[in-house]
Amino acid sequence: MSTLTLKKASTEAKLLLIGIPVAIWTLLPIYHLTLFAISPRGQAVSGKLWPDRPTLDNFAVVFHQEHHYLGHFWLQLWNSVLIAVAAGAITLFVATAAAFAISRLRVKGGRTIMNLALFTYFIPAAFLAVPMYKTMGNYGLLNSQWALILAMVTIATPYAIWVLKQASDKLPIELDEAARIDGATPLQLFRLVYLPLMLPSMVAVGTYALLLAWNEYLYAFLLLSDDRSTTLGVALGSFLAADDSPWELLMATGLLYALPPAAIYYAFKRYMVGGLTAGAVKS
Amino acid sequence: MATVSFRDVEKSFGSTKVIHGIGFDIADGEFTVLVGPSGCGKSTLLRMLAGLEEISGGTIAIDGHVVNDVESKDRDIAMVFQSYALYPHMTVADNMGFSLKLRKADPMLTKERVAHAAKILNLGPYLGRFPRELSGGQRQRVAMGRAIVRDPKVFLFDEPLSNLDAKLRVAMRAEIKALHQRLKTTTVYVTHDQVEAMTMADRIVVMQDGRIEQIGTPLELYDHPVNLFVAQFIGSPAMNVVTGMLRRGGGQAWVEADGGVRWPLAATVAGNDGQAVAYGVRPSDLGVAADERAVPAEVIVVEPTGAETELLVRVGKSEIVVVVHGRPRAEPGATIPLAVDQAAVHLFDPTNGAALA
Repeated sequence: MSTLTLKKASTEAKLLLIGIPVAIWTLLPIYHLTLFAISPRGQAVSGKLWPDRPTLDNFAVVFHQEHHYLGHFWLQLWNSVLIAVAAGAITLFVATAAAFAISRLRVKGGRTIMNLALFTYFIPAAFLAVPMYKTMGNYGLLNSQWALILAMVTIATPYAIWVLKQASDKLPIELDEAARIDGATPLQLFRLVYLPLMLPSMVAVGTYALLLAWNEYLYAFLLLSDDRSTTLGVALGSFLAADDSPWELLMATGLLYALPPAAIYYAFKRYMVGGLTAGAVKS
Repeated sequence: MATVSFRDVEKSFGSTKVIHGIGFDIADGEFTVLVGPSGCGKSTLLRMLAGLEEISGGTIAIDGHVVNDVESKDRDIAMVFQSYALYPHMTVADNMGFSLKLRKADPMLTKERVAHAAKILNLGPYLGRFPRELSGGQRQRVAMGRAIVRDPKVFLFDEPLSNLDAKLRVAMRAEIKALHQRLKTTTVYVTHDQVEAMTMADRIVVMQDGRIEQIGTPLELYDHPVNLFVAQFIGSPAMNVVTGMLRRGGGQAWVEADGGVRWPLAATVAGNDGQAVAYGVRPSDLGVAADERAVPAEVIVVEPTGAETELLVRVGKSEIVVVVHGRPRAEPGATIPLAVDQAAVHLFDPTNGAALA
């Protein structure tokens, strides 16, 4: 009994030993972000662990767009939302349809196409930035938000297809066969059987693509040069252009920018864990 | 209600041929069981009938109409899968009514048919549940309910009881049989379990390596197997087979096996003196003789099962299984005389396994 407790304690200690550094590692930047965001101007870099007079004034400045760096705060936030949601939705549509075709309809050459798409990950996205810029220029999409949306879809899709294909391979093929015998056309099979069962994986993949686009800097910076069309992420970067950057405003905006991803992750956390197919077939 | 006929049906996966020209007919309302060892092609044949596998050669007809190029959904069949294949995101009622929903049937009619099927299968209280909330036997019944709601021309069962435990399997076996007697729908049932085949079938099709070995009623196959494979596949425990030489002399006939053992035969049996034969006798056609001149056997293992006792004995160099009623006094190591029911002996050609008349 006592050895068992000792063993349990030692396992817990080991977990803590790993967990505490990871927690510090993760939370330290967020702490700094928060510290700066609630410090009055000029006191942010005073070296104190907590400001003498914490304030929310910085947020008011951001919300009222009272600084020339923040002249288009709401518009840029809207741009970020629009681009992220569109990229997430289009990626999801393309990847789900592709995974269904490859994994369930067993379209000839489907696997090859998927592998070719995955092969593009051998080239870092940064290397493709300039060719992508040129391509978008050829299509006359520069400075249009479509440019960034399409670029993000391009980058997210191969991984999304792969994840969804793996997930749909796990759905028993007998379900498709039963549905076919029951009289389902491929589209009905897709809509009535496949989609409901793939929902958890689709939420995970959609979130991935959405956050990828939300967090994108390089492509957004390159493809959208106009202040009115660019994303908040790029706008944050422009704070650093000046010698006397308003750090407290940068950090307040950054904190706001970090909230939606956290909220999305928290909201969809339960979908990330599957379990919906329990009971379909005896395994 | 429909007939089914297979004509020279062939199936190849790439260059591998798995079904070699199969042909037989299933009568309207008949319960036909396809049985054979793993990989004999029985499931493939069923899936071809279901439209889940392409037909490489020959024709399959349902009710006289060739269905080679007809899609599954238009063949008017229903299939029960080994894994149940229930839609996990739908309730029992939705699972059972799915085919009618796809057909855009009147929701009232669907509800009625589902309720009717649920009543037959005692699923009434579970209609609102999801498959994950049901036991194995209940899921199996839902799968059957889904087939019943269709009211198809042909029911197809692909090893439906393999995932159930032994006790439930026996219960469901009876349930499926009762269901067939009630609905009288033409049924094709695939299993590797010869007991299932014997107990349920009107007619059994024994398959091996993509070919039909024999077709017949359960008792026909049991009493008159056409070859060694069927003889040993049908019946449990399996038929004992000893190879030896047919001998005649003094108005008697016997098979002389290695070790000089003489297995008795009816004198009227066909065949020439000195002909090589395989001597087959079922365990239940052997018994402990009162006559000391009977075949001497050394007892190896005694397995009492209550009403019957199974003896594993050694005769010459062969191990023989004997099933006797009651509880004979036999100890391992002892020698007992074996009596053979000569009328029940089967002789086969040892080279090709064919039964000798």
